[in-house]
Amino acid sequence: MDNQLKKNLGKKIVGTLAIPAIAAAVLLTLCAVGGKTMIANRVSLNNFVVYTAVVMITTTALSINLNSGRFDFSLGAMAILSAVISSRITYAITAGTGNAFLMLILGIVIGAAIGFCSGALYVTLRIPPIIASLGVTLILEGIAFTITEGRYVMTEVQNGSMAAFGGNWYFPLMIIIAVLAVTIFLFDHTRFGYNYRALKDGQKVAVETGIREIPNALACYAVCGALMGIVGFLNAVRNTNINGGSLNFGSISIMFTAFLPMFIGGYISRFANEKIGFLLAALCMSMLNSTFAAFANEITASMQSIINAVLLVLFLIYLSNEYRIKAFLRPIRK
Amino acid sequence: MKKIIALLLALCMVLSLAACSGNTDKPANGGTQAAGNETPNAPEVSADPIKIGVLVADVSGEEALGFRAYYEEYIAKNYNVELSYTEQLADAAAEKSAIETFAAQGFDAIISLSSSDRAIQIETCAKNNLHYAIASGMLDDAQYEQYKTNEYFVGQIGPSMDTEYEAGLAMGKYFADKGVKTVSIYGAFIPNPMHVYRLAGVLVGLGATYGGAPEKDAIVGQIFGDQGLDLSKVGVNGIEIVSYFQGYGETTTDELNAAIQAAPDAFLSVGMATTFFTQQLNTAGIEFSDIDSFTSGNGETMKNGKLVYLAGKYSSSIGPIFAAVVNAVNGNAIRNENGDALSLSQGYLVATDGASFDKYYSADKGDSPIFNKELLDTVIGEGVSYETFKAFVEEDRG
Repeated sequence: MDNQLKKNLGKKIVGTLAIPAIAAAVLLTLCAVGGKTMIANRVSLNNFVVYTAVVMITTTALSINLNSGRFDFSLGAMAILSAVISSRITYAITAGTGNAFLMLILGIVIGAAIGFCSGALYVTLRIPPIIASLGVTLILEGIAFTITEGRYVMTEVQNGSMAAFGGNWYFPLMIIIAVLAVTIFLFDHTRFGYNYRALKDGQKVAVETGIREIPNALACYAVCGALMGIVGFLNAVRNTNINGGSLNFGSISIMFTAFLPMFIGGYISRFANEKIGFLLAALCMSMLNSTFAAFANEITASMQSIINAVLLVLFLIYLSNEYRIKAFLRPIRK
Repeated sequence: MKKIIALLLALCMVLSLAACSGNTDKPANGGTQAAGNETPNAPEVSADPIKIGVLVADVSGEEALGFRAYYEEYIAKNYNVELSYTEQLADAAAEKSAIETFAAQGFDAIISLSSSDRAIQIETCAKNNLHYAIASGMLDDAQYEQYKTNEYFVGQIGPSMDTEYEAGLAMGKYFADKGVKTVSIYGAFIPNPMHVYRLAGVLVGLGATYGGAPEKDAIVGQIFGDQGLDLSKVGVNGIEIVSYFQGYGETTTDELNAAIQAAPDAFLSVGMATTFFTQQLNTAGIEFSDIDSFTSGNGETMKNGKLVYLAGKYSSSIGPIFAAVVNAVNGNAIRNENGDALSLSQGYLVATDGASFDKYYSADKGDSPIFNKELLDTVIGEGVSYETFKAFVEEDRG
């Protein structure tokens, strides 16, 4: 029995760490062969951790609704609008000096409010969530554009406090740990989480057992919004500006950065907690991003986009044909 | 309930569309001089304001904001004009659409600060009987030759391509003379011609060749062909270009971080660095340069940050083209000696420290721009000759 437990534990550890380990090995080898260093100094370490946080949180936010069959295009717009509003309020309250912590808290609150409104629109109109999210995306982008007059928000986010946040890797690391802890607790150890999983796995049965799907959906949207409020803040730290000029679904690209890590995280969730899977997937993406940065002179921005897309397609092909691949390999193992 | 909500939403949309009247500024108030009146203190002429649409590709940069402040906060208050800015125009189609919208709203003229396709802009303006002028920029030589006789093309006043090249050259030489060994370069929005010429100048100033060619025209042609800078074609002479990137998009932050990671002695930018990268470069402690304007933000960066070289224009340097447009609308168009559209060059001023920056900044700000009403009125009105106007524009006001 102990051997069986150990075997299962070993399998879980291997399964959990396989993809990150392979990714690290391949990318570090590429860097070594090219004479580059993936993380050369403190600045690149800071960027690495911030990017990991952005990807992990975006992926978590995307998965919350997507797992329940609700495709939400408005994540990027939520991030932008919450960052725009929270930066303006922070700038006003601090009389121009800025305060990263205040902006972060405001971003979470405003993001949650925006998400709740988005969810309210969906449950009220009762139209397919993908259609509702398209409309919400345009509305939120329009509001952000109106507030910023289509400009980049810079003055409100370029200050010593934001620079200090971005200049120390342990601040975004704290955010990663906090988000991980809260989302694991919320979705795995609370009634809300139980109801969420019940509704996700069988809505009809769950509703008939007395679970109320509308409050749960609204809460999911609010949590998504809060998470994207954090992402909006982190992007403002990273880019030192907020692009208020995204219109006509220009903000959707933020969401698409989460697709590959979501599938990787979904694979890892067979062996570990799904949220841990998202973190490990985000680490993989961040390593890839840092490798691209190291080879910035050789790999152009367009080539990076192509590589990301190819990796996504390859991974999807693997997932779709996993049983065939295993069946193919089985005679070799024997 | 659902139908009521849907109806309410539709009503809100209709009302907001009906209320939407574009980004128009209010006409200048009473007490201002009507445009076209040559005498500075002439009594106010009761006339409809001249309506000028301004095309912009950049709504966030320090230079763009400085230009806008000059037009909106000074010109609009001192002249009987209505200036209306577009939103950020991303491409030629957006420019064409904006011009057609202005035409439909009865505008008189267009001043362009957007360069996606100036040929289309001129043709669209001509088709809609709108006067057209280029501020702070120029057509390339071939395009100017093609359109110079167009009656609706008022002219172009700004740095010529040669001036852009010289600005880049001076910047490159400054850092070469300073003894830097490694540089990162930001190419801004290549293949925008002014950025291409600036970049070519920077390379030559650093003592580099490109594709084996050491001279301007060959380098410019190659950069246009490569749509950027191919570092493998750069032949260096003691100064290594450790990174190059251009544009601004989702990967820019990573490209900038890669440039910072390469720890160059200096970061040379042919535009927009002071807008987008100031904080990161200050934090990384990397000296940098830019070609922009003398604004308060850039002054702060020069005095307390790592901006060590700024080639700039006065924010009011777009005053003369405004004067030319007003003359054209009032039937007093100024043409050159051949009867062609104006084509006058403005140079850059260079600041390398707080003192030199303040000299230029204090000369041109707020209510006391260099090209103030008193000065502009000397070239607005009947009988302003080309020679007078040319001398006015080209006078050294540094």
